[in-house]
Amino acid sequence: MSDKKYLLYKYTPLFLLFISILNEVDFNLEFKYFSFNFVYILIFYYSLRREGSIGYILIFIAGLFNDVVNGLPMGISSLAYLLLCAAAAYLRNITLRPNLFKDWLFFLFTILILNFVTYAYLILFFNYEINYFDQITNIIGTFLSYLIFSYIFRFYDDFILGRSD
Amino acid sequence: MESSRDDFVIAIRSTFLKKGNKQKFSLLSLILFSVIFLILGNFNFRIINFNKTIIKEIIYFSSFIVNLPENTIKNSFNKVSDHFEHYDDYLIIKNKLQVLKNKDLEKNIITYENVELKKLIDDYFVEDKQAYAKVLIDKESPFLRSIVLNKGSRNGVKVGMAVYDDIYLVGKVVEVNFLTSRVLLISDINSKVPITIQPLNTQGIMSGLEQASGQLQYINKEELISENNQEMVVVTSGVGGIFKSGVPIGNINFSDILPNKKLIVNFYRDFSQLKYVKISSHIKENINIDQSSKKKFRASNSKITEINSQAEDIKVLKQQKNINDEIQLKLQAENISLKKNLIDTQEELKKSIKLIEKDQKKNEHLEFLELNLLHGHKCRKSFFKSQLYKIKTNEYKACVLRKGSIKKN
Repeated sequence: MSDKKYLLYKYTPLFLLFISILNEVDFNLEFKYFSFNFVYILIFYYSLRREGSIGYILIFIAGLFNDVVNGLPMGISSLAYLLLCAAAAYLRNITLRPNLFKDWLFFLFTILILNFVTYAYLILFFNYEINYFDQITNIIGTFLSYLIFSYIFRFYDDFILGRSD
Repeated sequence: MESSRDDFVIAIRSTFLKKGNKQKFSLLSLILFSVIFLILGNFNFRIINFNKTIIKEIIYFSSFIVNLPENTIKNSFNKVSDHFEHYDDYLIIKNKLQVLKNKDLEKNIITYENVELKKLIDDYFVEDKQAYAKVLIDKESPFLRSIVLNKGSRNGVKVGMAVYDDIYLVGKVVEVNFLTSRVLLISDINSKVPITIQPLNTQGIMSGLEQASGQLQYINKEELISENNQEMVVVTSGVGGIFKSGVPIGNINFSDILPNKKLIVNFYRDFSQLKYVKISSHIKENINIDQSSKKKFRASNSKITEINSQAEDIKVLKQQKNINDEIQLKLQAENISLKKNLIDTQEELKKSIKLIEKDQKKNEHLEFLELNLLHGHKCRKSFFKSQLYKIKTNEYKACVLRKGSIKKN
């Protein structure tokens, strides 16, 4: 693999993570009944499939960035992202034969717990009012989008590495 | 059983404590670090706040730089689409301008009067401080709808200041850093704005609902339905003193008001398109005004009085004209009827004269017949009185009327 391709392969997840956090191209779309959390999908997929592709410190910093940009209490997104990494690492440790469908279901379980923790913290300690309908649509959207994005990421990695099934 | 528990413990330990090839911290330590961050964030320590402010400044500006390419593409696209819509807009605007020009004079008079009345009830606010700011970030979070501006405490921005786009309310400042500040949009669910619904003058509270709409609370819907207005305007009521009263927010369509549905306000402004905004605070107008202001005030006051008196005069003249018109119409009607009466009377008079003449002739004839019975024999020609007159001659008639006396030549 050439150096350029290696760099592209190595830094794409990181680039996508920071661009999606800092950029206004967010994924809380204008649709009333559909939105998804791209960062969750990205972190979970790459923590699961490519260990160490995004360092934990960088994920922690990305969480801080996200909190500042979105006006949330600092540290809450970092905690959520790191817990997501932990879930992905645990799944990787206990899995012998990777299966996309099982990953997908585990991802749903993980984001449900993460969102519960996040919302509970915001409501209990910061008196935030949360539109639960929007959050549920966001969770469902994230869950459904995981499958699509995992195919896209896999296709991209295969394309860069020059693999073909 | 025991081995599976061991596997679980090993997996958990590996997950949280194992460091990767290039990882300097374990996952557990970073999680603990973020928890500490969160806990410290709750306390108002000066050092923490200072660090937070520095991090925020760096992130806001880096976010602004990262957004530049996308904003350039967005702006270019908007420019092209604007160009295509330009002519249609021009025609619409031309028509609207005509209508607005007509309304302008009336509005000026009402504005003058409104200012006067507000001064009378001590509710006239003037702008104390104001600053124009550029929107750095308008990221739509699922938790908070807010924007970040490029003006901070260095420019005199303070928490609680109102933010406007043109004359329309956008939100209020909730966080101030040295160079930047965050504005909570009125479309956010946490935003509570005291409002008045015009023209009903109904008071209530509005909170955000969606990007382009808000939800009204503590309002009697039945009252709104019973009023049957096609369009109602929502403005700030000024209660609480954060926003001045009468700032337009949006409107309510009468067709949207249903008993079992939320009461929705459609905002006048699209908050996703904000580029420059005005931050301002308001104070009550100082009573100790200077001489030039006094002169202006007097001039405007006299102007209002003059306009009002002229309007009154015009009103009175119009009323007089109406009365005169009515009188004229009545007179014309009377004149016509009198003419008719006159013609009728003349005809009756003619008929009466004819009847009188007829009666006179009858009377003369009756008199002749009476006299003829009494004195006819004295005038009638006979064998023995051959010098007298034949019957039905004028001489005979004249003789009878003379009662038989013979005329001597």
